[in-house]
Amino acid sequence: MPELAARLLAALGPEAVRSAPEDLAAYAYDAYSEDGMPLAAVIPRDARETAIAVRIARECGEPVVPRGAGTGLCGGAIPARGGLVISFARMNRILELDVRNRRARVQPGLINLDLSRAIARHGIFYAPDPSSQKISTIGGNVGTNAGGPHCLSYGTTTNHVLAIEYVDDAGEVHTTSIDDVGYDLTGALVGSEGTLGVITAVDVRLMKLPEAVRVCVAAFPDVESASEAVSAIIGAGIVPTALEIMDKLIVSAVEAHYHAGYPTDSGAVLLVEVAGAVDDMDANEAAIAKIAKSHGAVSWRAARDAAERDALWASRKGAAGAMGRIAPNYYIQDACVPRTKLPQVMNAIDAISAEYQIPVGNVFHAGDGNLHPLLIFDRRDKRQVGAVVEAGTAILKTCVEMGGTISGEHGIGYEKRETLSMVFSTDDLATMGRVRDVFDPARLFNPDKIFPSGAVCGEVAQPPSAA
Amino acid sequence: MIDTPPLRFEDLALDRQRVDEFGLGGRTPAIAVAPHDTRALIALQQRANEAGLGVVVFGGATLQSIGNAPTRYDLAISLARLTRVLDYEPRDLTIAVEAGITLATLAGRLAEHGQFVPLDAPRAATATVGGTLAAGWRGPRRTTYGTARDFVIGTEAILADGTHAHAGGMVVKNVTGYDVGKLYLGSLGTLGTLVRVNFKCLPLPPVRRIAIAPLADEHRDRALAHLASLAIEPTCALLMRGFDAATPDVKSDDPRLVVLFEGSDAVVERATRDLRSALGAAGVASTTIVDRNPEHAFARVLDAYTDTLVGRSITFRSTGLPSTVLERFERVDRLARDFVLRLDAIVDLRSGDLTLRFLAPKKNAFTQIAATLASDLRTILDPCTILAGDPAARSGIDAWGTEPASIGTMRSLKTRFDERATLAPGRFVGGI
Repeated sequence: MPELAARLLAALGPEAVRSAPEDLAAYAYDAYSEDGMPLAAVIPRDARETAIAVRIARECGEPVVPRGAGTGLCGGAIPARGGLVISFARMNRILELDVRNRRARVQPGLINLDLSRAIARHGIFYAPDPSSQKISTIGGNVGTNAGGPHCLSYGTTTNHVLAIEYVDDAGEVHTTSIDDVGYDLTGALVGSEGTLGVITAVDVRLMKLPEAVRVCVAAFPDVESASEAVSAIIGAGIVPTALEIMDKLIVSAVEAHYHAGYPTDSGAVLLVEVAGAVDDMDANEAAIAKIAKSHGAVSWRAARDAAERDALWASRKGAAGAMGRIAPNYYIQDACVPRTKLPQVMNAIDAISAEYQIPVGNVFHAGDGNLHPLLIFDRRDKRQVGAVVEAGTAILKTCVEMGGTISGEHGIGYEKRETLSMVFSTDDLATMGRVRDVFDPARLFNPDKIFPSGAVCGEVAQPPSAA
Repeated sequence: MIDTPPLRFEDLALDRQRVDEFGLGGRTPAIAVAPHDTRALIALQQRANEAGLGVVVFGGATLQSIGNAPTRYDLAISLARLTRVLDYEPRDLTIAVEAGITLATLAGRLAEHGQFVPLDAPRAATATVGGTLAAGWRGPRRTTYGTARDFVIGTEAILADGTHAHAGGMVVKNVTGYDVGKLYLGSLGTLGTLVRVNFKCLPLPPVRRIAIAPLADEHRDRALAHLASLAIEPTCALLMRGFDAATPDVKSDDPRLVVLFEGSDAVVERATRDLRSALGAAGVASTTIVDRNPEHAFARVLDAYTDTLVGRSITFRSTGLPSTVLERFERVDRLARDFVLRLDAIVDLRSGDLTLRFLAPKKNAFTQIAATLASDLRTILDPCTILAGDPAARSGIDAWGTEPASIGTMRSLKTRFDERATLAPGRFVGGI
């Protein structure tokens, strides 16, 4: 047994520690296509045990990779250099709920949807709702600054995190709050993908449930016209709570699986949600429907009741999963562009799809300009595997050229680290490296993530001494 | 301080400024300049850094009363020349501006397209974007709309050594690298000088309405309980005591409840009706509606936050849970009576923020008691920082109070970003 596992076992007991290869296999992968075997996994019960685990890993010179539910699409939870995986499967409780002040303190392993479900009876909810919310955890969401369809009006995870308790590289527990005097360390930790510390508790902001919600579906001849409509809606100064587009390919897969009632005969559907005061519902729906129709919508329909609304949402959020019915394998990309660039970027994606002979399905948070092209391929075909990676990179490059960026909500992780320099200069990356120097000078927290490995940017990814 | 610091800048595109316009805590710099562009600013900072100078960057100086006097102060850099709108596509609901643009200019430009960014800082005609962000300003609508950290989507900063660092971008969702931009917000310029800021904008609500009601003590608790249960929540709800100039429409010796509703005509109408009946049921006799130019009325309220009486006032800020804000206010009120000081206050019912202005009966009365007042106040409130006040009245009081638990990490950040403590030395918490 390696020293790391032996020391962890001695300190935390067999309940909390995994070291047998067959057990460790469960911590070797996430939703990305590569994996890496850890030396040990710890499933702590609290911050104290987490801190002990971090301290031991550090003393053994082993890296530490925090893990939520492993739903990340970019390899953020892969133990790329082995070492220790810390799973928060047991730290999944709401520690405090303060209804009056609309905040809750939760453990990082709490499943996102479980939070909103537990508090709904108080008329409040937790706004960030990534499509994975049925299984993904708050800690993982904080790590990637996760988004979701409702970010359009409510903002992403970072806008809903009030305080963070974390274990630093010395194995000490700290708390940082956005109300603290001094630098916004809370803001720096959100979206840092486990590279600055290990989060052991999160104070989240909760919101009052809207008085009224209306969900509508419009059918368009193609994705471009639906995208034009979205640009026009935003441009008209209307910010609904969600504006989601699915193209024909995605809608067919979704309908075959969920039967939610999306029109399958059109090129694209637009899912619109408006929420707020009951007085505004009719006027808002009418204004949006008018813009949709003037941009080519061939149909417009509002969900009749909560059940229908939920069905439309459930199938939208299950879209990627439903693709399994029609695609042997798919590679989901995540990029973000200024919203007026949507029609242009959709055309460009069509062209890339044709050039690389890779079919692409589009399901995305159109209101935010946040794209999720699903590149469909067959893993057994070598040409396709190569082409899908190249097409994915081509899409990212196009988005950056249009003033966008290479990740809207999934993170950089392992997958996109080499493409980070498409967006940032050496100086920009070195500045991020300065932040990392403060929190993790030895680069023991989630190494080989976010930052490019290349010589130019070595100082960000590597410990300063190795640079 | 040295009289003629070793700084060469004749070759740079900049204007000399009068140094006496850049006084801070009773100190004036040896040199004051306004660079014409980012390139000149980079060169200036690099040279100042190499020469070991202390540099303070200025916007409109409306919030420079936050923070301690600099421990070294050789060079003042004004961003008054960096005022351009760099990129504005209204249909994207995003805008990029240079840091020296004033809040009023930004608001005017956005309003042309029915948009806004709710920075909500005092003296918008003078306050700049960079200064407001560096000061970490949090306005009274923050529970509804958030603070700058919620709508800044991209930053460009010049670090002490001249490094030009970008973070974020021009998109509304972004997890591409660290969110370094957040570190500059509220840093008082100690990590870098913001030169460009990208914002996410919001559509302007069609209707804004301010309602003001004097709240006699005997009605207060019931009125506020009714207010808290309104179906349509106000975007801002303040209890103001003193600061009479903020609400010229309502004359009263009682504290005034100031409520802002924003939204469609139908929603604001309903909200007003509900508010009137809620307050009426609590025994509040009259509610005044300010429909005429509500933007100006709201700006007057914002201006009150830093309104100072020369030599006679010190203003502190604190935050905490909304549920405890009245209790905290009352404890401070008792303290003020113990010190025989008048206390004006802005009690933010939605966010839990307290703004507390202590007034002495005559000039220089603070000299004896200011330090004791601050330390007693800080046993009640944490955090508790100085927002405004006469330099003489506050001398000897640390602007920040208790150091946060993570001060060690903050010090390391400062060292890693500004090794020679060139930028705003000693201005920030813990002597950073």
